[in-house]
Amino acid sequence: MNLNIPDYVKSLVDNKISVMYSGPVWADGIDGMAEMLQRRLDIDNLPLNASQSVFSVFVEQMSNILMYSAEKETFSELDNARDLSKGVFILGIKEESYFIYTGNLVGNKNADILKKRIDHLNTLDKKELRKFFRERTHAENDNPESKGAGLGLIEVARRASSKIEYNFEPQDDGMQYFTMYIEI
Amino acid sequence: MAFHLKMEKTTSTPYVLLDEEKKYMKLEGRSFHDGVMEFFEPINNWLESYLCTDFGTFVFDCGMDYFNSSTIKALFVIITKMDRASVGDNKVIVNWITTSDNEIIIECGEDFSEDVCNLEFNLVISE
Repeated sequence: MNLNIPDYVKSLVDNKISVMYSGPVWADGIDGMAEMLQRRLDIDNLPLNASQSVFSVFVEQMSNILMYSAEKETFSELDNARDLSKGVFILGIKEESYFIYTGNLVGNKNADILKKRIDHLNTLDKKELRKFFRERTHAENDNPESKGAGLGLIEVARRASSKIEYNFEPQDDGMQYFTMYIEI
Repeated sequence: MAFHLKMEKTTSTPYVLLDEEKKYMKLEGRSFHDGVMEFFEPINNWLESYLCTDFGTFVFDCGMDYFNSSTIKALFVIITKMDRASVGDNKVIVNWITTSDNEIIIECGEDFSEDVCNLEFNLVISE
């Protein structure tokens, strides 16, 4: 047994982490996590705006992991064998605010797209983000096949209390490990 | 036979009521399932043909607690359809029902109210 659980738990507590998930992400699995997260937020008794912002960032980020994660695991025991995206979600409380980390592997092409999108979103203020979201909703309307990929990131930026921080860590296999840090 | 669709809410999909006889549609609860577009498909399909008829006055009560960005896209598609159909003797009334502390729903409602030209869009905000 290499993992020292008490030390590991202590490191989570020291880092103010209250919820952490690492593993496969799939649509119905997000429901279960959402229920757990909602209970956690209910316990914290936050104003609706704050808890909804945390919830919204969770939902959008999980959907981003579903869409972009390049790390897949095949679960053959499921009704229909399929590849599930893998990712990490971490929620913590720092003084009066929440912070969220998410992580997943992405291919180089998606890494470039994500970097450009976040850099652009970080230049916009709340009002401009709202306007941009609306423009994208109109544009998406002309493209019924799109799952609204761009909208999720804008929504995250709208709910964040400061700029989105991110990092791409090159991996051996030509992939990049993508981390996002969002404060609420 | 008049079309009637009722779906109970789940963790990530809303309560849906579509009643052709009463010329009424209602959404309640939360919507953030990854398959949101597929979820709204039967509603869209029915509206597509229904809105081409002489339906008179149709009311859509949208009283959601939370929705994600893909749902906003789906709702925009629905409301745009209703707006186009709201001409002549046909009238669509959308009641956007929420509470004053629900920023996501209010902001979306305000934006939608500016996007529509023909239908009656009421923002119903309670304390």
